[in-house]
Amino acid sequence: MVVSVKDTLKLAGISIVCFCAVFVCTFFLNYYLDVIPLKDLVSAETRPLYDAQIATAKFTTAITGGVLGLIAAIMLVFYIKLYIDGHAKQLGIIKAMGYPNGRIAAGFAVFGICVFIGCAAGFCAGWGAMPFIYKELTIAGMPEITINFHYGLLFALVFAPSAAFAALSCLYAYFAMGVPVMALIKGKSKKIVKESKKIEKPRPFMLQNCLSTLASKKSLAFFVAFSCFCFSAMVQMGLAMEETVTATMGYMILGIGVVLALVSAVMAVTSLINGNVKNVSVMKAMGFSLKECVLTVLAGYVPFAVLGFALGTAYQYGLLQLMINVIFKNVGEVPAYSFSLSAFFITLAAFIVAYAALIAVYVLKINKIPVKEVMLEN
Amino acid sequence: MIKAENLVKSYNGNQVLKGVSLKIENGGFVVITGASGSGKSTLMNVLSGLERADGGMVEYDGESLKNKSEAQLTEFRRRKIGFIFQQYYLLSHLSVENNVKMGAYLAGNNEYLSVISAVGLGDKLKSKPSQLSGGEQQRVCIARALAKNPEVLFLDEPTGALDESTGREVLNYIANLKRERGFTLIMVTHNLNVAEMAETVIKMNSGRIVETYKNEAQKSAYEIGW
Repeated sequence: MVVSVKDTLKLAGISIVCFCAVFVCTFFLNYYLDVIPLKDLVSAETRPLYDAQIATAKFTTAITGGVLGLIAAIMLVFYIKLYIDGHAKQLGIIKAMGYPNGRIAAGFAVFGICVFIGCAAGFCAGWGAMPFIYKELTIAGMPEITINFHYGLLFALVFAPSAAFAALSCLYAYFAMGVPVMALIKGKSKKIVKESKKIEKPRPFMLQNCLSTLASKKSLAFFVAFSCFCFSAMVQMGLAMEETVTATMGYMILGIGVVLALVSAVMAVTSLINGNVKNVSVMKAMGFSLKECVLTVLAGYVPFAVLGFALGTAYQYGLLQLMINVIFKNVGEVPAYSFSLSAFFITLAAFIVAYAALIAVYVLKINKIPVKEVMLEN
Repeated sequence: MIKAENLVKSYNGNQVLKGVSLKIENGGFVVITGASGSGKSTLMNVLSGLERADGGMVEYDGESLKNKSEAQLTEFRRRKIGFIFQQYYLLSHLSVENNVKMGAYLAGNNEYLSVISAVGLGDKLKSKPSQLSGGEQQRVCIARALAKNPEVLFLDEPTGALDESTGREVLNYIANLKRERGFTLIMVTHNLNVAEMAETVIKMNSGRIVETYKNEAQKSAYEIGW
C-alpha cells in the first residue's frame, strides 16, 4: 500500500551484503556437508589437515554468516526507520483513514524481496564458484570429493533469511508506527524529545553544528566506522594472507572487503546527505560556503572513520592469529603469520585515496543541492 | 539602492517573470503582493540572489548579481541578506540558541543572546524547534535572520502560518526593529492588510508589476485589518 517494490530496489546495499554472506556460506557449508561423510576414509596422516579444513569451514561460515547477517539486519532496520521518517505524513493519513498498524506494517514485508534477491544471487554465485573452491580446499591424500546439492542449504540460505527479514521488517514497522496519528500527519515519526537538562558547553558554532548533526544521526557513525573497519580488515587480510591461504582465497577476501566497505560507505554518506538536504539548503540560502556545509555534514564522522580503520587493523591481526592458533593447532606445519607493515601502509594509502575520492563525489553532490530547495515545500 | 531591470524567469517553458523592473531605496519597507502564481515569490528569490534570472539584471548599490559565480552569490547573501521563511526552516537538530547562533556566526555577532531575549525566547534557549509552538518557531526564525545583521531582510509570507494575535506581534516586532536598525525590508504576502504597513506596495499579476504605490501613512501591526 505504502511501500512499493520500487522502494525495495533502493536497498541494493542490503542485497549486496546478503550476496556476500550467502556466497561464502554456500560453498563452505556445501563443502562441509560433502566432506563430513568422508571422515572415516581419512588417513591418520591427513587427519589434522582434514580437521583444520572442517574447522575453517565452520569458523568462516559462522563469522561471515553471523556478522554479515547482523549487518544486513541493522541496515534494513535503519532503512525502514528512514522510510517511515520520510513517509510519516502518508502513513499518518492511512492510519487516520482507519487502517490498523498491523495491516500497514504487513506492507513492509516486501522489503524481504531485496534479501531474497541478494541471497538467491549469492547462492547461485556460490554454486558457480564451487568447483574452483573445492579444488582450492583439496587435501593431498584425501578421497575425491563430489559436489552434491543440499536442499536444506537452499532453504537455510535463501528462503529462511528472506522470510526472517520480511518478518523483521513488519515487526519493526509495527513498533515504529506506534506514534499518534496527528504526530505522523504533522511529519513527526519520532516521539517528542524531552527538553535536555544537560548544560551544553559553550562551543564555537561550527563545532556545535557539526556535533549536533552527528548526534542527530548517531546510527550513521556505526556505518561509517563499519565501512572503514571492513576496508581495513579485509584488504589487509587479503594482502597479508598470501602465506596462509591460496591466492584465490586472498583475492576473494579482498574483493568482499572492498565491496562491503563501499556499500556501507555509500549507504551511510548517502543517507547522511539526503537527511541533511533541507539543512544544507537553508545554510546555503543564509550564505554559508560549500566548505562550511561539507564540514557540518561530514566532519563529525571523521573520528569514527579513523576508529573503524584502527579496529579493522587490530581485528584482522587478532583474528588471523586466532584462526591459525585454533585451526592449525594439530597441524605440524603451522603457516607463519605476523603483522605485515607493508600491507598496513598499502591499505592505509588505498584507504586515503578511496575515501578522498568518495568525499569528493559527495562534495559535488552537496554543491548541487539547490539553494531554493527550502522554497519548494510548503 | 536595489535596482532590477527587465527581469525574466521561466520554469519548464512557463514564463513566471515577464520583464519586471523596480527600484527600492536603502532602508525602504516594500511589500510585494499578488495572487498565488503572480510571480511574487519568484521575484523575491531573484532579488535576493537565491535564483538567477534568465534575463535582465539585479544591482545592489551598483554591484550586479548577474555575473557572480555560485560561490560569489553565497558570499553576497552572507554579507547582505537575511531571510524569514513562511515555514521557518529551522535546523531541527539545533537548539533555539544554536539556530540563532547560526545567523550570528555569519556576521561575527557575539550579541545574539540579546536578540533571542528581544523576541521573547530567553527562557527557551535550550529547546529544540519541535518543542516550540508555530509562533515561537517563527520568532526563532526572525532572531536568526536579525542576528545576522542583514542590510536587506526578505520575508516570505511571515505570518502565513500564524494566528492573528501572534501574527500581529511578529509584524510589530519586525517593524520596530526595522525602524531601530534601518535595514531594507522586502516582504512578500498575499495579505493586502499587511501591505498597509509598508511605505511602498508593489502589486503583481501574471509575472508583471501592475501597480506600484506609496502609502501616505503607514499603519502599525495593531491597526491593520486581519
